[in-house]
Amino acid sequence: MRVLLFGMIAEKAGMAEVEVTAVSTHALKRELQQRIPGLDRMSYALAVDRRIVHEDVLLTGREEVALLPPFAGG
Amino acid sequence: MERAHKKRDIFVEGAIPVSFISESIAKHATRTDIGAHEIFLGQVRADVIEGKTVDAIEYTAYRDMANDQMTAIREDAFARWPAMTCLHVHHSQGLIKAGELCFMVFASAPHRQQAREAVAFVTDEVKKRLPIFGKEIFSDHTHIWKANT
Repeated sequence: MRVLLFGMIAEKAGMAEVEVTAVSTHALKRELQQRIPGLDRMSYALAVDRRIVHEDVLLTGREEVALLPPFAGG
Repeated sequence: MERAHKKRDIFVEGAIPVSFISESIAKHATRTDIGAHEIFLGQVRADVIEGKTVDAIEYTAYRDMANDQMTAIREDAFARWPAMTCLHVHHSQGLIKAGELCFMVFASAPHRQQAREAVAFVTDEVKKRLPIFGKEIFSDHTHIWKANT
């Protein structure tokens, strides 16, 4: 599935989105931590279909997933 | 000026022009049930961090989610202050220089208290809940990522 990256995470990854195969949000995090240098030390939230999820959520591959570093609006 | 909670796009490219504020006020002249406007304006600050001065902030956003969150905040605000006549929120995207405006919350109501409380609430909620990211760019072209506390 396509995972959207923003802010410092997009900068670290060198891209604004990444293609990942994962069965759940925890699996997806583990996979991305292998691929994006320093992600394991960053503070970020994970959104599934534009809602932040904290627990492990099953993914079908059709969701819109995004990694969100700390917000800075206003 | 309608209250319908349809989805809107709050983002504007670049700084919010100062003239936009007066135009926004002027648009409400026909709504003579309004007795109070309250406005919050966010301006980019030339912070000095470890001896380096911030020249500008480059804002990016997860625009669809930010607009969804804004719709929810708007619904909350109208539920809390049902007498509020209207609420307008705009946020910049792109490069905003120190001294320029990047954020506007504008509420109108028959009386000042609803407008004042709603603007304070909406301003805080936007900072907390909208996925907007800010790259603070220093005069030496290095940068750090800003985080709301």
